[in-house]
Amino acid sequence: VSALGHYLEEEGIATVAISLIRPQTEKTKPPRALWVPFELGRPFGAPSDPAFQRRVLLTALQMLERPVGPVVIDDFPEDDPRAISDPTWRPPYTPAVTATGQSLAAQLENEILLLRGSHELWVSKNSRTTVGLSGLSIEQCTQYVADWLRGKAPPSPFEHFSAPLMLRFAVDDVKAFCLEAACTTFGKPSSQQLGDWLWNKTATGAAIQALRVALLESEDERLKLIVSNFIVPAPRVPAA
Amino acid sequence: VTRLTDLPPAMAQRLAELDCPDFTTRPWVTGPALPQRRVAVVSTAGLVVRGELPFRGRDPDYRVIPGSAVAGDLLTSHISINHDRTGFQEDRNVVFPLDRLNELAADGIIGAVAGTHYSFMGATDPVQMEPYAREVAGRLKSDAVDAVILSPV
Repeated sequence: VSALGHYLEEEGIATVAISLIRPQTEKTKPPRALWVPFELGRPFGAPSDPAFQRRVLLTALQMLERPVGPVVIDDFPEDDPRAISDPTWRPPYTPAVTATGQSLAAQLENEILLLRGSHELWVSKNSRTTVGLSGLSIEQCTQYVADWLRGKAPPSPFEHFSAPLMLRFAVDDVKAFCLEAACTTFGKPSSQQLGDWLWNKTATGAAIQALRVALLESEDERLKLIVSNFIVPAPRVPAA
Repeated sequence: VTRLTDLPPAMAQRLAELDCPDFTTRPWVTGPALPQRRVAVVSTAGLVVRGELPFRGRDPDYRVIPGSAVAGDLLTSHISINHDRTGFQEDRNVVFPLDRLNELAADGIIGAVAGTHYSFMGATDPVQMEPYAREVAGRLKSDAVDAVILSPV
C-alpha cells in the first residue's frame, strides 16, 4: 500500500498507510505510515473488538495532522489480544482422517456435509459468510475439488475462469466454509489454533494437501503454479 | 499465519527484501483538521463485492466498494494465502474498517466518510497499478475525499 500512498499523494490526496511489514515501508517511504505489530491479514488487529480497532484507526488518522513530513513512520504500541490461543475453544466434531477405507475425496465430501449445521449456525450468528468467491454452492465446490482429487480434471463451469483458477477459488471457498464452521463453538480461537485444526485434524486439510502433491506432477504449468503456491499456506507445506 | 518475525525464515526474508519502487519524489499533502476531513478506505486485500469478478492472479486494476456495502457483501480474492483470513471472516473491520469510520464520523472526530471506497490486489507490481491508482485519485477527488486510509493484508 505504500506505493499507492505515493501515487495518491502525488495526485493531491493526503494518505496514511497501515504497515504490516516495516522493512518494506522503510524502503518505499510513503508520506505517513503506522506500523502495527499484528499478524499478516489483520491490519486493524483484533476481530470483534471495536474499541481496539478504533484505537488503531484513530492513531493512524491523527498522523494526517502531523505538521512536518514526509516521511513519518510511527509504531502502534499494543499487541492484538486475539493473537493469543484460547484454551476453552473446541472445534466441531469431525471424524478422524483414515488412510484406509474411504478415499480422501469421499472423506472430504462427508466432512463438508457434516459441518453444514455448524456453518448454518455461523451464518445466522454473524449474518454473513465469506464463502462465495467461486460462484458455486458449497456442495458444487466440494464436488469440484473432490473430482480433481479423483483425477478427473473437470473443466471450469465458467468461461471467465480457467480450470486451475476455478480450482483455486473452490479451494478458497471450502477452506472458508470449514474455518467459519469451526467458530460456532464456545471460545475465541486464534488463527494459529484454527489453522492447526484445519491442516492437522480435518479431511478437508488432508484432501487439499493430497491434491497439491498429486497435481504438482501435472504437465500443465499454470495448474502446477497454482497448486504449488496458492492452495496450501507456505508454513503448512510439509518439509520435503 | 503470524507476524513477519514468526514466519518461516525464508519467507520472512523474501517479504522483507521484496523489491519496492524507488521513488524520486516525496509528495506531502496537508489539509484541514480531522473533523473537517472526508475519509475513504483504499485496501489492497483484493476485496470484491459478492457477484463481481474476483481479482484473477495479479490483476492491476481495482474494484469499487460502495459505502452502502453490508458486511455480507464483501469477499477477499487476494492471491496470497500466506496471511490470516479468519480475522476478516469474523469481522470485516479487521481489514476494511468502514463501521469504525462511520462511528468516528458520527462522533464528530472525522468530518465524513466517503461514498465510495476502493480495493486493489496487493501482490501486483506497483508500477502496473500506477495508472489505476491515479484514476482512483480522480474518482476520490470527485467525491470530495481529502484523506485516505490505506489498508494492506
